[in-house]
This record gives sequence, C-alpha cells and structure tokens, in this order.
Amino acid sequence: MPNKKLAIFTATGCRACENAILDIHYQVSSLARFADIAFWPYVSGSQWKDLEAEDRLDVCFFSGAIRTGADREAALKLREKSRIMVACGACAAFGGMPGLINLPQGSTERGQLQQTTDKGQQSPEDGKPELPPLEPGVSALSQIVKVDYFVPGCPPTQNFLWAAIQSLVCNGQSPARISFAAARLPEAISQAIASGILPPGGTLFAGEKAVCASCSRVKEEKRFDAYKRPYEAYESSGRCLLEQGLVCQGITTREGCGGLCTAVGQPCRGCFGKAEAVFDPGAKMVSAIGSTFDSEDAAEISALVDDFVDLAGTFYRYTLPTQCALLSKPSKD
Amino acid sequence: MSDFEPKIIAFLCNWCAYVAADTAGIARYKQKPNVRVIRVLCTGMVDPSYVLKAFAAGADGVLVGGCHPGDCHYISGNFKAMRRAPLLNKLLEEMGVESGRFRLEWIAASDAPQYAELVNRMSDEVRSLGPFSPSIIE
Repeated sequence: MPNKKLAIFTATGCRACENAILDIHYQVSSLARFADIAFWPYVSGSQWKDLEAEDRLDVCFFSGAIRTGADREAALKLREKSRIMVACGACAAFGGMPGLINLPQGSTERGQLQQTTDKGQQSPEDGKPELPPLEPGVSALSQIVKVDYFVPGCPPTQNFLWAAIQSLVCNGQSPARISFAAARLPEAISQAIASGILPPGGTLFAGEKAVCASCSRVKEEKRFDAYKRPYEAYESSGRCLLEQGLVCQGITTREGCGGLCTAVGQPCRGCFGKAEAVFDPGAKMVSAIGSTFDSEDAAEISALVDDFVDLAGTFYRYTLPTQCALLSKPSKD
Repeated sequence: MSDFEPKIIAFLCNWCAYVAADTAGIARYKQKPNVRVIRVLCTGMVDPSYVLKAFAAGADGVLVGGCHPGDCHYISGNFKAMRRAPLLNKLLEEMGVESGRFRLEWIAASDAPQYAELVNRMSDEVRSLGPFSPSIIE
C-alpha cells in the first residue's frame, strides 16, 4: 500500500493541535511508516507552492478557526486537494475560543477592527506584508467547507488523535495500539477502526455520553449555594466540583477525555463540545446550576445570580459559532 | 413598526396558569392574539432549552406561567422554575435578547382577569421592543 499523503495546517489558532500531533510520542516514528507529510508549514516549513505542486492529498488535519480571508482561502484550497478533511481541535470543529467574538457585545470592537484593517489595505506601505482582511465573525471549518471527521478537544487528547490517525492514515494496521481510545469510542466506530475500514462520515472521535460519566468524583445531592471561581476552591480529589459551587461543564460536555481536568480539581471547560443528547450547552448549564440553588427566596436567588460573570463566554467557551442554538449558523454538508 | 405583531410563546402550567388562560377565554376577557400557548404539566419541566429553542425558532417573546410559590401541584416544581429564571435571563441578555422578552409569572387558576391583563401588557412591551432576530454573523 502506498504511503498516504498528509497535510497539517492551523488557521487562526495557537498551534497546540499541531503540537498534540507531535505529542503522540514514539508513535510519530511509526506514523512516518504510513504517511508522507506533503504540507506542514509549522514543522517542515512547507510553502503554499508545495501544496500546489501536489496532485492530490489523502488526509488533511485542519486546526484553528476561520477568522481572516486567508484562513478561508486556506480551507478552500486544502479541501479541494484533500480526499479526507479532518477538523482537528475545538477551534476547527466548533469555532473555539476565537468564536466568542461572535457574541453581540463584541460587535462594536468588531466594527472598529474591521475599519482599521480596511484602512490599512487601502494604502499598503511599500515592502510591508499586508494583513489579510478579517471576516465579519468567526466560523468553524464545517461552516466553510464540508468536513469528513472531527477530533474535538483543546488540544485533542492523544488517544483520540492517535485513533483518528490510525483509522484515516494507517487503516488500522496496528489496532492493538488504539485499544484505549477504542474503548471510549462508540462501538460502531471502534469496530470500524479495528477492522481497518473508514468510520462513517461526520464521525466525532470522542465518546457519546457526558464527561460526568467518566469523571472520578463522587456525586451526591446537588445543592449550589455559592458561586466560586476555580482559584477559590481547590480539591484534588473527592466531591463533585459542581456541588462545591464551581461552574463545571462536565454535565453538558461530550465525554472522551476521561475527566482529565476534573480529576485534578479543575472544572470542565467544555472543549469536547456538547454531548449528543444536549440541545444547547448554555441552556443545559442554566438548568443544571439554576435548579440546584439552595434557596426558595426570589431575592436570595437573584443575589446569588448577580455573582455569576460572563455566562455566555463560559457556557459557550469553545462552541459559540456552531452549538449555540441562538447564535450559530448552519454547517455546509 | 406599527404593523408588527409579536409572536409570544407561553408555557403555561396545567394546574394554574393554563386554567386561568382557559377561564379568561370563557369569560371573554379581551386579549391580544399574539400568544401561542403550550400547555406543560408544571413550570418545573420548562427546560431553559425550550425557551432558547423558541427564540431560535422565531419567537419574539416567551412567557412562562405557573402557580404561585407554595401552590405547586407537584410541591416544588415552580421553585425550580424560579431558580432557573434569573440565570436564564442573564444568559439571554448576554446573547442580545432584551430583558422583557422572557418573563416568568405566577398566575393562579382564579387569576383570569390578571392573565388577560398580563397578556396585553406583555404583548405591548414586546411590540415596542420590535421583532427579535438573533445577531448571527454571516
């Protein structure tokens, strides 16, 4: 079997997803047995002309959100060249943290930014590179081009990234190595991976349930009586964080990480996107927190609610452009 | 916006608010025709997702009506609604839904005139706010 041709690219993002690909440790060397890396600006310094020289790519791992015109162009180019497009990481899959600019409050700043860049483009100074124009808002990759697979996470966890690489690049030629991820993936997908066939299109390389299902903490009666920020309460093990007054989003978030953050006392931030059964992560969190307030007095409740800051930014931290029922726009299928 | 007629979705509890709405109709109180009633068993079952979905699907206002605190047919269902409402209101405001578009009101079964008045008041308020369209960036 000829080696697969691979492209790895980050649009607007921090490149932690590309680091995560390097972070599959010694498996990086076995990756080289199955794939030729045709285009990877971050690591091999590839140029766009290298991509144009390629006739066809097999798999493209695209990370980062679409924020600028250059990002959009890159997405379109890579989609055209690649047989399989993978949205790698929360930004590409859901819009990620840059996507919070789509909140209505951001609109004034957005207008100003747009103006300054437009002005800059009218009179480019000689010899200086031009900044690409900003898009009016941030989009996830799936809202620009058709995406075949998603690997969520910020950054994606090693096991699912390896599972994705195994199934899309290596065709499951060493299935034993993915047993950990396979155990957490929905059965149909893990079976497909193990038998070396491609999982169905649109597959998310993550679990199905909520993070709470795999979180190691003890869940008792939920009674929310004070809002705390993560630095105000730290408990490395023991009781459920939501019960302690921390805004832990495990309840709405897709499982798969195995409760990495909650295990060390950090409330879940929701980087795997919403769980299958959740309609809207913000509404679900309002329901989860609100209905457990330990009070029957309206004034007391509204005093408690006053302590909460930046609800939309917290509940849709990674998912605003795609999973917020009110502010998201449809994907390209 | 003189010809704008708001769409208001009302989730009314089966035991109090819905009865009030029913009585208001039978008693022929004048009400604005902007309210679409959805009967629920209790305000405690009105998940914030329902409210968000209503707004996302084109509602200009959402009214949740239940029994007065302490009168819930299921003992504590309306307290659950009461606890969720302020937080939901805050989230909605952050997402650009003006306050006044979402309301939680206590309406007893015998409050038919008050219900009619509330419907008229809310309808006028939402009408003055204008049509709701989420600020989705294309």
